[in-house]
Amino acid sequence: MEKELLEHGLNLNRRKFLSRLSLGLGSAALGSLLIPDLFRGQSKEEDAIMVALPHFAPKAKRVIYLFQNGAPSQLESFDYKPLLQKSYGQDLPESIRMGQRLTGMTADQERFPLVGSYYDFQQYGESRAWISSIFPYTAKVVDDLCIIKSMHTEAINHDPALTFFQTGAQVGNRPSMGSWLSYGLGSENSNLPAFCVLLSRGKGNGQGVYSKLWSNGFLDATHQGVQFSNSEDPVLYLRDPHSMSRSERRKMLDQIASMNELNFQEFNDPAITAKVQQYEMAYRMQTAVPEITDVSKEPDSIVKLYGPDCLVPGTYAANCLLARKLSESGVRFVQLYHQGWDQHGNLPNEMAQQAKDVDQASAALITDLKQRGLLDETLVIWGGEFGRTNYCQGKIQVDNYGRDHHPRAFSIWMAGGGVKPGIVYGKTDEFGYNIIENPVHVHDFQATVLHLLGIDHERLTFKHLGRRYRLTDVSGHVVKDILV
Amino acid sequence: MTNPLSKLNSILENLLFVWLGLSFILLIGEKAISLPPILQVIGRGHPLLLHFPITLILIGVIFLLFPSLRNNETFRDIGAKSLLWGSNLAGITVIAGLILAREDYEGDSLLWHQWAGMVTFWGASFIYFFQKRNLKQIAIPAVALGICLTLTGHWGANITHGENYLLAPLNPPAEQVPLAEAEVFDHVIQPILQAKCESCHREGKTKGELRMDNLSELKKGGKSGPFVVSGDLTQSLLTQRINLPLEEEEHMPPKNKAQLTEEEFQILTTWVESGANFEGKLVDLPQESELFQLASLRFSSEDSYDFEPASGSTIEDLNTYFRKVSPIYPESPALEVSYFGISAFEPSSLKDLQKIKEQLVNLRLDKMPLSEVNLDFLNDFPNLRELSLNFTELTAGQLESFPLLDQLEGLSLSGNSLTPDAINRIAEMENLQNLFLWNTGLNDSQKQQLSEQLPNTKIDFGFEGKDIILPLNSPKITQDRVLFSDSLRIELSHPIQSTTIRFTLDGTEPDSISSPVYSEPIYVKTSGKIRAKAFAPEWIGSEEITSVFMKSGLKPQNVELLTQPSPNYKAQLAETLFDQIKGKNNHTSGEWLGYSDKAFEAEFSLEENQHPTNIGISLLYHEGAYIFPPVKVEIMGWRNGKAETLISDQPTQSEKIREIRSELLTYKLPDGNFEKIRVKLYPIQSLPKWHPGAGAKGWVFIDEILLN
Repeated sequence: MEKELLEHGLNLNRRKFLSRLSLGLGSAALGSLLIPDLFRGQSKEEDAIMVALPHFAPKAKRVIYLFQNGAPSQLESFDYKPLLQKSYGQDLPESIRMGQRLTGMTADQERFPLVGSYYDFQQYGESRAWISSIFPYTAKVVDDLCIIKSMHTEAINHDPALTFFQTGAQVGNRPSMGSWLSYGLGSENSNLPAFCVLLSRGKGNGQGVYSKLWSNGFLDATHQGVQFSNSEDPVLYLRDPHSMSRSERRKMLDQIASMNELNFQEFNDPAITAKVQQYEMAYRMQTAVPEITDVSKEPDSIVKLYGPDCLVPGTYAANCLLARKLSESGVRFVQLYHQGWDQHGNLPNEMAQQAKDVDQASAALITDLKQRGLLDETLVIWGGEFGRTNYCQGKIQVDNYGRDHHPRAFSIWMAGGGVKPGIVYGKTDEFGYNIIENPVHVHDFQATVLHLLGIDHERLTFKHLGRRYRLTDVSGHVVKDILV
Repeated sequence: MTNPLSKLNSILENLLFVWLGLSFILLIGEKAISLPPILQVIGRGHPLLLHFPITLILIGVIFLLFPSLRNNETFRDIGAKSLLWGSNLAGITVIAGLILAREDYEGDSLLWHQWAGMVTFWGASFIYFFQKRNLKQIAIPAVALGICLTLTGHWGANITHGENYLLAPLNPPAEQVPLAEAEVFDHVIQPILQAKCESCHREGKTKGELRMDNLSELKKGGKSGPFVVSGDLTQSLLTQRINLPLEEEEHMPPKNKAQLTEEEFQILTTWVESGANFEGKLVDLPQESELFQLASLRFSSEDSYDFEPASGSTIEDLNTYFRKVSPIYPESPALEVSYFGISAFEPSSLKDLQKIKEQLVNLRLDKMPLSEVNLDFLNDFPNLRELSLNFTELTAGQLESFPLLDQLEGLSLSGNSLTPDAINRIAEMENLQNLFLWNTGLNDSQKQQLSEQLPNTKIDFGFEGKDIILPLNSPKITQDRVLFSDSLRIELSHPIQSTTIRFTLDGTEPDSISSPVYSEPIYVKTSGKIRAKAFAPEWIGSEEITSVFMKSGLKPQNVELLTQPSPNYKAQLAETLFDQIKGKNNHTSGEWLGYSDKAFEAEFSLEENQHPTNIGISLLYHEGAYIFPPVKVEIMGWRNGKAETLISDQPTQSEKIREIRSELLTYKLPDGNFEKIRVKLYPIQSLPKWHPGAGAKGWVFIDEILLN
């Protein structure tokens, strides 16, 4: 032990010596020329962030991302393709498929019979956007939506596609979108985490979500997404143990903090400060969270707006309501996941159920934010990780079919927060297979979201393992056409 | 024998005079001399050539100037040679430059560049010839030569890159003009021309005789025609040239220069299309015009603020855990303030905002209890534009004397009750652009009246849901367990407090009129099933929810499975059926016997004193997992060694996929002393058409048989 202490002391001295040397007058003078902010007294991280923030007020201050996990079919929701109904059972022409890879689930299929939507479509609102009959509530708010029908991604299976959407890479070691925003913009309300996660599950065929999706990756641990559970304690381990008073808790935290402070003075490890901050945040959350999760003061009309399920913890509707409450309390990024959208079979039945789970509450969220004057500054996003094939997986029947994964074209919608309302952007061919106008890659989508929040996606970077990383990796263009 | 090297030296020395003469001819003759095209090529070599003399002359000067180098024979020789070669190349460069200058160059920079270049050439030659003189004599000329060389380079760069090129990074970037003040030409078109065209079309370098750095010159056009013709894309040289394919020589900007971005291209094109006006504000264009839409993206729609920013320490001091004070964007003087934490709210903390009364632009106090606060403090903020007071418990008195904030653009009062006088008060704020009045208790005529009083304000009255009738969700049944020995407590609840829950225990469907209303926990003493529904005015009754409860029963002897379950779902085999443990709602929990290929068939003996009157069969249903009700239930009994069929039933089949659930099939047994009973359950052999696995075999899952 003594040896280690000695070594540590020596290290400390050597480091001090080297850092003094490097701060010699000459290098400092040169440095100040090359790095204008060197003497401004800001940390490097803050500098990096300041550079990424442009000099105008951002449109969106907060994001609510309604992730439809499992990939809802665009052909039964927003991308109306009458040709598919006409060509029921005919094979997808090879000239359209153009060698698109298949998943293991349809690779052995001999035929690719086209199948049209089981549900009727109608045009709604001033934008005359086509929406299928299983989304009646969404149809009512269509003039607040920007429907993008030309999304495309690189992954063909759920986990990589989800990870790609959330972190900008298909392998899971990068920070999630919400973590990047927490890092870039910080928290609005310092009594709550900047990034919260809410989960729900529909009755349809589902795919799991994993905590790596809301991981802080290589960013500081304070930027990790905090999952709210649907149990009696929305945030686990937040309550004081039985018979412990608040003042005792305070005393305990102060003691731990002073010990941590000692440790910090010796080792200078920023992880120690992060830990102290987390404890303090949790202490403040002890009062903030019950205030926010309390739905008893919501007016009756709210229950009608979101549907009665919004009072049943753990449902999508309840999560939408909670998302609004968190967002209006200053949480930067509220990430919802609703599972059960993976309709490889039994699509007509399952998809209607899934839609019923989410339709009313998703639309309600828009109306609710609007009536509080918050929609302009809150960006709401609805969509899955990829689309579904225009041909049937498995046995084709008029009232029972399935669709496989399709990364080449799918639909999502955005609303509020500086996105043009009441427009439909992008187009697919009449088979609904390939994009023919205004493609939007996942990185483009991410760049656009960051732009709406006032961040230049190319400049919000973090240096890790010798290179600078960003959410959009090495590509991404802001989709200017959809900005207000 | 002459040394070949010294011969080369003398040739080079002599050449110096040739260059001198040629340059004089070109300088004096100027445009009077016409030159063959081959010389024009040499002229365009000027930007390439010039690098050689710069380097060589500098090396020469340094080697000849520093005593330590000068005193070394070898270095001195290198210096002399460099100077000689440098002077020669300077001569050639000067000549090339003079030829190039005959193309579209003019202006002060050119003049200075020309003469400085000449002086450099002469000076270098001069020093070369007098290099052997002592150091004192050549030191000053040599230093002067170095300076002259630098200046030549600088003026040359001014010609190519523009006058302000060198020092531009030191000057602060131009202030961004807010959208409201932006001029179409000055702030949209001109910056594009400046960035992409002006380096070749300006004073000093008027390629094609077109100048873009001066408006009147620009309007004159160039040698090939007019710069723009209003509304004509083909006649306007601007759009004509930028539209040519990149390979074409006439394409602008030239291939090797920075090209227009797609956005810049679109803006220039739509500008010409829309008439190529040099006057006029951007905001005066129709909002839907393409030019406006493209160009307006270049501006922030933010107003500029003319007040001083608050000091960083003031802002820092005002930030607490419950109050966020921050600029609306980095480096903006305008501040936004949000309050958080209902229980931590201190009305007195609003006084602190006095310190930033000039800078406060957005204030959010949503949900803070403000009923005790005198709202007149809001008058102190002359630049307040957005105020959000949703659900702040404002009283009638506060609202009826609400401060009239003329400068306010957005006001949210959702969740506060507005009296008629309060409405009239709000109606006086005519400058409001957005007003949010959801859940403020206004009736339809009040709403209409207010809309008329504030014709320029967008008012959102929000969602009321009065006429909307939706189905309720089902109530929730809470019971500790399914199997019980004496009695079981069952509770019913619904998330919406105002609902009525009605239930039945007799197996009938609950209705909204005659079924009992749930008011307190129910205690049951026999096996059965509870069915419940929720009802409420202005709602459609819920779907029913059911739950079974089972009184544990007799334990028979010699329980035996006559058919074996699937190896994956064999639980404790025969033991399972009378273990008095109710399986969880999960067929893989290891508590269920699963049958698919064969029918379930089990037999057990009864003792003399065992006279069950009821038999219950506890099953699991989960259509999504292919687990269905049995198609047929057969129960046989043996009396005095003789078998008879006691029950033969076909339970109701599923019609859709429902959630996983437990069901209890109960049957009355005839009186009599049975020695042995056999139960047989037939799984469905072909799933119905509506099921995704239509045609496949279904399953039966059983965990318990209850005899009472």
